[in-house]
Amino acid sequence: MAPVAPRSGDAIFANVERVNAELFTLTYGAIVRQLLTDLEEVEEVNKQLDQMGYNIGIRLIDEFLAKSNVSRCIDFKETAEVIAKKSHGDGFLEGVWSWIHPGFLRKQKRKKMEKRKIENESVGLKMFLGVTATVGNWNAEGTTCSLILEDNPLVDFVELPDTCQGLYYCNILSGVIRGALEMVSMKTEVTWIRDMLRGDDAFELQLKLLKQVPEEYPYKDDE
Amino acid sequence: MGREVSESCVESLLTEIVSSYCNGFYADKPELAARRIEAIGFQVGHQLSERYTMDRPRFTDHLEAIKFICKDFWSEVFKKQIDNLKTNHRGTFVLQDNRFRWLSRMSVDPSIETLGSIQDPSAMAENKAAQAIGMHLYFPCGIIRGALSNLGIPCAVSADISNLPACKSFHFEFFYSANSLN
Amino acid sequence: MIVCVAVVGHQNNPLYIQSFTEADDALKLHHIVHCSLDVVDERVNNPKKSSPTLNETFLGLLYPTENYKVYGYLTNTKVKLILVTTDLDVRDADVRNFFSKFHAAYVDAVSNPFHVPGKKITSRTFAERVSTIVKSFGLSSGS
Repeated sequence: MAPVAPRSGDAIFANVERVNAELFTLTYGAIVRQLLTDLEEVEEVNKQLDQMGYNIGIRLIDEFLAKSNVSRCIDFKETAEVIAKKSHGDGFLEGVWSWIHPGFLRKQKRKKMEKRKIENESVGLKMFLGVTATVGNWNAEGTTCSLILEDNPLVDFVELPDTCQGLYYCNILSGVIRGALEMVSMKTEVTWIRDMLRGDDAFELQLKLLKQVPEEYPYKDDE
Repeated sequence: MGREVSESCVESLLTEIVSSYCNGFYADKPELAARRIEAIGFQVGHQLSERYTMDRPRFTDHLEAIKFICKDFWSEVFKKQIDNLKTNHRGTFVLQDNRFRWLSRMSVDPSIETLGSIQDPSAMAENKAAQAIGMHLYFPCGIIRGALSNLGIPCAVSADISNLPACKSFHFEFFYSANSLN
Repeated sequence: MIVCVAVVGHQNNPLYIQSFTEADDALKLHHIVHCSLDVVDERVNNPKKSSPTLNETFLGLLYPTENYKVYGYLTNTKVKLILVTTDLDVRDADVRNFFSKFHAAYVDAVSNPFHVPGKKITSRTFAERVSTIVKSFGLSSGS
């Protein structure tokens, strides 16, 4: 069978089932509220949200690969590069944002672009994402970078009560990123640097590469 | 308004919350896990009913509000209307959805045929798959109860999935005190 | 000028009440709001069948007092929104416009996952938003 050609971002976008963001936003909020009631300790809630995100991140990568048709019969190695290797930034951006917003899959078209170019594209991203996401603050070794979001559908309507000041409300995101990157062989540590719910001007997540796991490909190359 | 997310966002949250409560902190207490999942749904339904009725004229009676749930509300949340609405005129309504969105993509063990009502979680404790589906249904049940109660119809909602997997049909049954019927 | 706005729950429990006057007449205004609730109930339970506003969320002028005009609005979730103004010549469109923004602000406030239904709305964002809406009353709507 001839390998399926990678699909354009637009085609994927048209086929992704979408729902009103309110359902997602409110569901997430209700989960956080319920976890606070049941786990009592804010620190435990942070951990739980991170764990949930991690589980989602692991599955997310599969979905991402499947929907973009760049997987299996073509070349998983190339896919892994597309998603993760070129820079430690491009891949997880796509993965995470395809979870948050299907429109982001359109960025597939530009998957081969350099990190710098992607940074320049942030204005373009806003057009279909509704949010601006940028990768930046790389250290000299290329092992640490930041993901900066100026908008975030998770926090619509949210105001943290004074009793929850230690809560990382969006901690599910850091889990998603950690999980997704781990599936493409990169062990990372993800920490919040800035949080708009705490009065900062943006959301900033710092990603630190801990270990590049030797690559193993779960799929055999048929050809 | 207008912002959209991939449907898989909601699905993955639901999957995670069910597994957190059922396999994690309430692994031995399915009744408690069920109540928590329902409570999450209740809050969502309560808030959604506030949002989705914002630009509508007021409902004149309960039936109008129930029809709103079956049509507009159901379409927003589950992306289709219900297929059938029945009532015994004494406060019990049965909503039937033949292709219930949130379970249509869940894999179902074909051996599950004698599934009871999710009102009785302990009865299905033996069957993990059935239990998982039952647990997932507490969330939409909570949503519907939250929405109805915010529209002035306090009620109990249960889901019956006894027809699985043949036709993926779901009954949501709810009743409320006849006194509140005007 | 708007002197007072209020959000009242379905059991007539105050969820938010804010007066906007220099004078020390908060008590009097709260009393006016309180009295208006009965008028809302009366209006809703005994609708004039011929009225074009039947089932509308906007209930119109509830009652005029010597110095104030009181308007009401009832959501599908049985929450009452009340507006007290000193303006004697008020345009219907302005009041409708006000309530639609006030309602939207309320809906967003109760969409906060940490808001407890039936409890007072303590959100700072909500208070600021309401204050902005109050200030812009009658200014922008020409339509």
